[in-house]
Amino acid sequence: MEEYIDKIDLEARRKSAEAIRKVFLKLIDQIKKGEEPRLIIKKRTLANTIYDPVKKMLLLGESKAVRRFLDEGEVKKFMQTVLMASIIYDALVNNEYPTIRDLYYRGKHTIPKLSESDKEINTWDEQDESDAVLRDVEVLTNKLREEMLILSKEKGKVVGDMRIRSGRDVIDLSKMGHGAYAIESTADLIEFLDVNAEFVLVVEKDAVFQQLHRIGFWRKMRCLLVTSAGQPDRATRRFVRRLNEELKLPVYVVADSDPYGFYIYSVFKIGSITLSYESERLATPSARFLGVMMSDVFGDDPPIEELQTSILGNTVDRKALKKRYVEVLRKYGYKKSLDKKPFLSGEERKMFIIRAKQQDIARAIELVGTSVVKDILGFEPKISIKGKGERVKRHPGYPWFRDPRWIKEISIFLYTLAKLEIEAMASKGLKFLAFEYLPSKIETGDYID
Amino acid sequence: MSSGVESFRQLSPSEFFYRNREIAGFSNPARAVYQTVREFIENSLDATEVHGILPVITLRISREDPSNPDHITIQVEDNGIGVPPQFIPDAFGRVLYSSKYKFRQTRGMYGLGAKMAILYAQLTTGKPFEIYSSTRKTRYIYYYKLMIDVKKNQPQILELASWEKRSKWHGTIVKLTIEGEWSRRVRDYVAVYIKRTAIITPYADITAILPSVEKEDEYEVLRFPRVTSMLPRPPKEAKPHPLGIDLEMLKMMINETGAKTVLSFLTSEFQRIGEVTATRILKNAGIDPDKPPRTLDDDELQRLYKAMREEKYWAPTDEPLSPIGEELIRIGLKEILRPEFIATASRKPSSYSGHPFIVEGGIAYGGELASRLDEIAQDSVKGETGPYIVLLRYANKIPLLYDEKTDVMWSIVDPSKFPWRSVYKLEPTDTVAVLIHICSTKVPYKGVGKESVANVEEVESEVRLLAQELARKLREYIQRKKRVQEARQKLSLFLRYIPEVAASLAAIAGNGRGTPDPSIQKELTEKMREIALAKIKLSEYEASA
Repeated sequence: MEEYIDKIDLEARRKSAEAIRKVFLKLIDQIKKGEEPRLIIKKRTLANTIYDPVKKMLLLGESKAVRRFLDEGEVKKFMQTVLMASIIYDALVNNEYPTIRDLYYRGKHTIPKLSESDKEINTWDEQDESDAVLRDVEVLTNKLREEMLILSKEKGKVVGDMRIRSGRDVIDLSKMGHGAYAIESTADLIEFLDVNAEFVLVVEKDAVFQQLHRIGFWRKMRCLLVTSAGQPDRATRRFVRRLNEELKLPVYVVADSDPYGFYIYSVFKIGSITLSYESERLATPSARFLGVMMSDVFGDDPPIEELQTSILGNTVDRKALKKRYVEVLRKYGYKKSLDKKPFLSGEERKMFIIRAKQQDIARAIELVGTSVVKDILGFEPKISIKGKGERVKRHPGYPWFRDPRWIKEISIFLYTLAKLEIEAMASKGLKFLAFEYLPSKIETGDYID
Repeated sequence: MSSGVESFRQLSPSEFFYRNREIAGFSNPARAVYQTVREFIENSLDATEVHGILPVITLRISREDPSNPDHITIQVEDNGIGVPPQFIPDAFGRVLYSSKYKFRQTRGMYGLGAKMAILYAQLTTGKPFEIYSSTRKTRYIYYYKLMIDVKKNQPQILELASWEKRSKWHGTIVKLTIEGEWSRRVRDYVAVYIKRTAIITPYADITAILPSVEKEDEYEVLRFPRVTSMLPRPPKEAKPHPLGIDLEMLKMMINETGAKTVLSFLTSEFQRIGEVTATRILKNAGIDPDKPPRTLDDDELQRLYKAMREEKYWAPTDEPLSPIGEELIRIGLKEILRPEFIATASRKPSSYSGHPFIVEGGIAYGGELASRLDEIAQDSVKGETGPYIVLLRYANKIPLLYDEKTDVMWSIVDPSKFPWRSVYKLEPTDTVAVLIHICSTKVPYKGVGKESVANVEEVESEVRLLAQELARKLREYIQRKKRVQEARQKLSLFLRYIPEVAASLAAIAGNGRGTPDPSIQKELTEKMREIALAKIKLSEYEASA
């Protein structure tokens, strides 16, 4: 077996194993000195998730939690954390590649009873529990699971004029036929050999990725084409980050034109709230949102007849909305002229547009915050979701969306309550999408960064 | 009492009692058995412990006449001071005064109850009363068989005999046959009476031989061996307290006094009256202090009585009281109920209407308590929800078994009134035995049955304070125990996880192959146990529990 394992792997294993040893030898020292065993772990809570405006990423704050062994409420979690670390360590030194499911199975067992009356306790029962302590081990050791050779399902794909080394093999990403290279879980172990590309285009939708691949988009546009196939996984994000950081390639993201699509872009760029501890290595702060923008659909000046007359149960005056639109953009510092023409005609919009649901509006509020939405609409947005009754949805919004360009997009969304999938652009014509829409956007610099 | 001889004096016609036997507890055949046992046992205890003798008492109940199954023979033997032979006929054949009418605490009114039993036997079976007795000073045992001539209130001696003693035996054996009932219920009341007596007399050796309820010719034996040779402090005779007498008593005392003047009558016959007080009383009553007491007319007596009642005095002395004492209560509860926890308390002497009294008691919890409850106490633990309070009531060392719900002691510990749960943190499943003893020169009984104590304010307040003190001690124990339990649970939780953590850490620290290093694992396990033990300090909790 040994000879099949390559050096990069071994090096990664050595480093990760060392990181684990370092943390837990300290704990062993504590115990040997007679101190109460405790682990200090950065809190993985929303309250401890901080947006760093300089680095432009979501980062874990400095707030720390002390996990004590001699605390009834924490003793089990403590044991689970140490157990998880030892399983990972064991896998690392024995050249194994566990998945998170494997880790769950390897650690799960019944803890021996001390007396007959003791209850039956398992180390853990659900994978949720082992996953949670895995995240704690990542935070404790400052090593991502990928660096610890823990595998997960591969979702992301890449094609383009580029050669990489994965394991012992050199792979030419331009010779993948109709298929593509599935980005391995351990994206850090990929070695970049040579590349002939000017930018990276990340397409959220796998189907659109395939269409662009087959039509020869990457060849013609001299780019690397990546898809995350929906919500991006860690490996895809790490891979994109490396392309940007190591090869200095600008990264453009294309997603649906709706608040959810905007959020997926934000995950690439900033990081996700739940996994903010990994942003420093997974986020690509300079990633650009290329489209599809609401302003691509409606233009900078949406036709008055396509505005809503009733929004969230409130009757609105279209003319007043138009006026408000300009005022809001001015208020939030929008400087450019509003002269972009729509890529779709009124007829096409009628065909392709999907009506926004309450959930989409709720997501929009989450992005820019309640106060901005109130400025856009002129009233407090009341949302009723799944029988919970109607109530004012309050959210502070994310700082990086409080950008006049995003406020413009969200305004158009709220006035028209329209959504558009990327596929719609392909439906208008694949060539239109590949060789008109996308190139013109890039050429004119019509993106948000 | 140093003389070892009680003095007896005639009281009133036996006929009166004969006609009013209900008030003495002989209302029906079932109650008569219980009452006879009670009177004899109490006499036996009074003849022993009060005189510094560790009691040995044997009760035998039998059916001696197969043709008359309702004829119940009751015999009680004790090792008491005995009755001098010359007093026997009057002591048992004539309704008498005795020293017990003086001011000190005793169980019963000596002889009166026993004579009721004798009269009841005579009425129902016509059988005479038999007695064997010997004092410590005599070399003989005397035997009498006698009946009471009700009309004349005179003993009728049917047989008389005496034997020279072959041992140093002293004591009394009494035996009579009444028409009674021997049912499960009567047997339970007799048995419970004996058991509850045994609780507060751990210095006594008591044996009861009772006919089986189910099978003829079979007997059950209840044995309560002595567990301590400690006796309660004996009561000392004391003069009456001026507030503790009524007008009739005052007249009687004047008739008997040897004092030459009213002034000296007051100072010599009462406690808490000195010259100054006596002079003030007589001045207030408008009576010449030098007047011979027996020359006072009715009006003067009335004025004297009134003036005495209006005066302020020191509270009566508690010398005539004989509390059981916390130590004996503890021993008794422990021996009979085998609980996990006992607390005792004793209130300071108090008084009501010139009668001194002491309230004392104990509380028992857990252990074998629930399984060792007597037949009557088991009724207290029925019902939907607890905490179940088993009340063991005593008045002047007599267990009170009837009329519990009307008793002042029950009115205090009643779970619907006393905050056992809210304040004293008992669980609904808990069973607690509360022993309360009220001793007084005059227990304020409710009614003539002497089975329940009345709600006299002063007594009620002391009972409440006692119950609170006992409950507080129990709460402290339960909470401490809970803390220990929690600490122990916590520790066992930590101890359970330690091997897991040690193995995991040893695997990381080990040889770089991921397998645990046995020596590190062992060291870590031990070290972590030490740390856990030091943190929880279970030993400290246990020491305080």
